[in-house]
Amino acid sequence: MDAYFYIILAVGLLSTIICAVAGIMKKAPNDATILSVAAVELALLVYLVGSIVRVSSGEQIAGEPWEFWGYLITALILPVGAVYWSILERTRWSNFVLAAVGVTALVMAARMNQIWY
Amino acid sequence: MTPQTPVNKTDNATANARSTDTRNTGPGRLLIAVYAVFAISATARAGYQILTKFSEAPLAYLLSAFAALVYVVATISLAKPGRTWFKVSVAAVLVELVGVVVVGALSIVDSVSFPHETVWSLFGRGYAFIPLLLPILGLVWLYRRRPAPRA
Repeated sequence: MDAYFYIILAVGLLSTIICAVAGIMKKAPNDATILSVAAVELALLVYLVGSIVRVSSGEQIAGEPWEFWGYLITALILPVGAVYWSILERTRWSNFVLAAVGVTALVMAARMNQIWY
Repeated sequence: MTPQTPVNKTDNATANARSTDTRNTGPGRLLIAVYAVFAISATARAGYQILTKFSEAPLAYLLSAFAALVYVVATISLAKPGRTWFKVSVAAVLVELVGVVVVGALSIVDSVSFPHETVWSLFGRGYAFIPLLLPILGLVWLYRRRPAPRA
């Protein structure tokens, strides 16, 4: 597991906790929950840029490269989709949808790390 | 004007039917979101398995593809309003429940025939048992949002 994974682990868990607590407190998606999901997206973008730099500087992905990029691109789409889906209906349940993003992102980041090394 | 009252009544009836026939609201949105994640990951995984190593375990990988299809149908049908989509949802979620229980049991009893991982192996242990929990929550939600009997 590298630093990229630990960044996504920390940001993802924090985002999930913020969104789940907001959902439990019966709040609709607000700045805090949407920005926490945006932070997950940012962490994934850092992973994307870092990975592009590493590959272009000659580092080899141990597993299937296209599987790695597939995971990364899918992970990048999830926060955007979840935010869109949550602002269509602004109820507490949308915060639970947002809460799912952080956990999913960290599971996917763990898998991406396995593929890379 | 006399015809106005019946017109309004029909409008209300359609509005009511629409709201009770909709499952993509409240908790249903979370359910659909989780189903969508499973649909994407199961489809990607099955596609990967079939494209790269199908001959290793055709049965397991066909099962993966079937599971992916069930998740896709469940996601779409839960998001769509109306009686027909309700029935499709119930069928998809029931197939999912039977699938996870049967494949889960077979993967423990007969681990030789089911050595290759699918979403449903070991009751979905590789996915934090969410595949086992999801159809149960799905059925509860569908029951609570069942369409009213036809008048």
